[in-house]
Amino acid sequence: MAARGAKRPAQLKAPDKLVFLLSLVPYLLEQRVVDVADAAAHFGTGEQEIRDAVRLIATSGLPGETGTYQPNDLFDIDWDSFEDDDVIVIVHHVAIDDAPRLSAREAAALIAGLQYLSASPENAGSAQLASLMAKLTEGASAAPSRLAVAESEADASLARIREAVAGGRQLEFTYRNALGHEGRRRVDPLRIASLGADWYLQAWCHTREDFRNFRVDRMSDLVVADAPIEDHSDREVPDTLFQGSDSDLDVVVDVAPDALPLLADYLADSRTEDVDGRLRVTLRLAHYHGLKRLIAGLPGLVTVVAPEEARAVVADWADAGLAGYRDAPSSVPDDAQSTGPTG
Amino acid sequence: MIADVAVQRGKGEPRIAVEDRLFSLVLALLATETGLLKAEILSTVRGYAERYDPSGANANLERQFERDKDDIRELGIPLETVESPDRPGDNQSLRYRIPKGEYDLPVDVRFTPDELALLGLAAEVWREASLSADSQRALTKLRSLGIEPREPVIGYAPRLRVRDAAFEPIRQALDRRQTVRFRYIKPGEQSPRVRTVNPLAVVLHEGRWHLHAFDVEAKGSRTFLLSRIVGGVEVVPGSTFAAPPPGIQDRVLADLHELFLANSADLAVTAGSDAEVRLGKRAVLADDDAGVIRLHYTDVAVFADELASYGPEVRVIAPASLRDAVRERLASVAAAHRGAGGGD
Repeated sequence: MAARGAKRPAQLKAPDKLVFLLSLVPYLLEQRVVDVADAAAHFGTGEQEIRDAVRLIATSGLPGETGTYQPNDLFDIDWDSFEDDDVIVIVHHVAIDDAPRLSAREAAALIAGLQYLSASPENAGSAQLASLMAKLTEGASAAPSRLAVAESEADASLARIREAVAGGRQLEFTYRNALGHEGRRRVDPLRIASLGADWYLQAWCHTREDFRNFRVDRMSDLVVADAPIEDHSDREVPDTLFQGSDSDLDVVVDVAPDALPLLADYLADSRTEDVDGRLRVTLRLAHYHGLKRLIAGLPGLVTVVAPEEARAVVADWADAGLAGYRDAPSSVPDDAQSTGPTG
Repeated sequence: MIADVAVQRGKGEPRIAVEDRLFSLVLALLATETGLLKAEILSTVRGYAERYDPSGANANLERQFERDKDDIRELGIPLETVESPDRPGDNQSLRYRIPKGEYDLPVDVRFTPDELALLGLAAEVWREASLSADSQRALTKLRSLGIEPREPVIGYAPRLRVRDAAFEPIRQALDRRQTVRFRYIKPGEQSPRVRTVNPLAVVLHEGRWHLHAFDVEAKGSRTFLLSRIVGGVEVVPGSTFAAPPPGIQDRVLADLHELFLANSADLAVTAGSDAEVRLGKRAVLADDDAGVIRLHYTDVAVFADELASYGPEVRVIAPASLRDAVRERLASVAAAHRGAGGGD
């Protein structure tokens, strides 16, 4: 997993740098003697960041009784090992020696993340998660923010996919693609990804000879093959779950400003134009099949402007849906229905 | 800023980096038992002392100190203010300190390599959201314990997204216990109404972020969908309220789940369609011969939006409220896309 330290923002803000300094000190004390390279790997930072931080720490300390930062009131390191061998040894420390507590927000962010993970194939119903959440609560300097994520159910197919990924085995399944075409696929499963309630398998597709993302809810008749997966270490698994293709089509739409984030995955570029209080943007989609579903699912928020063909496709889709209700009786109030969170 | 540079130039000192000043402040406040007076801090701690004017005009520096205190507290560092017993209410005799016992991570809070691997994944969940900064900071703090996380057995990339603009301001108000004001569109209403609320909990249920809050005007608790908040979220200046009970977020989730179970819909789905595949996975009852499935849902408007996206692949049989909502949506989409384009 390239999770740790793979993509850090180039420029950390001062509070983040402070947390880094306050965390680096107890780590260095605990390790006693540590290579710059090891410390960098552990914190997922660059080596130069570690060296800069060590230099700052080594010249920091307390103002002391005279308010003049006398040597005895400062941190000190073994400068020879540091400068000659790139090895860090703190020989004198002041004020701090232990890991800092988490903030209410930090603890809450991790707890909510764990709640989401409870649906993953690794952790379904894991007791470990509950004890971990309790520890995070205890490790926070104030009660964690009142934030929670509902447990969701994992797809039944996930267990088999997980088995194939963990065992490095090829996987065969029937896949119904976004256009509704069904076919048998054989893949090298590489990574399971989830986005909200949706699960994906990122895999090398032998049929297409390329990386593909498969929606787990469109897979059926899964068989874990005996054949091992091939080596794909020379190529990187794409990080995005939404990939463009040659058949991409551009569609101009007007969107209510508040709803723009809902289209983020489909924006062709970052241009927006104000048209009567709405934003005119260009979407890029693989096919009309996806467009009509997207637009019909955001009623009143997004309207297709061009091309004319796209407008017609959406209108036809909605009309076809309406046709199903032609014979239905008109509105009957149902008293027993609860209506959801209404504010 | 200009004044700062001038003072530094006068003294010939290099500029002290912000993190250097904050680090020096935390060290000084951790080392003191009785606390330090503001004047002591400004005149001796690195990053302030260089700019301190003994003759008294330190208004800029004092404001800097106030902001630094806030920043430090936001990081979960328990910076305390202690009143002088002799002179209660006198701001100049206030003392500042960080009690070491409340700063250090409790000794029984230690993590195994397995647990750290899980926490790393939990942080990954937020990599596209504002919570990412918080979870990354938490991981940095936990790395100070020196334990290497176990490498996960399988590649797993979990992710949650927050697409509601109101999320971050609401979450901040929740943490700071500030009353907020925003415009909210109730389902079935055409225009938003201004609501003034005390945020009590923020929860994700059925893929939507909900705010549970005390509505100041209605004098009762209400649950709002963040996606129905339009425009900005404004903090009511000087407002505050009592901390909600711990675990309130779990009760809010339980209530929403109860609501979810109380609502069920019977849907006719077209065989072999996307709707059959995707909605079918969520069905609690299915009559395969008739092609009818039963699903629970929480909110009519939200569920109707989703069902509208399936067009002719799904038809609502019951309840009527949901059927009408879907039909209304399809009619509005059809109407908006019929005839010539060009933005009406």
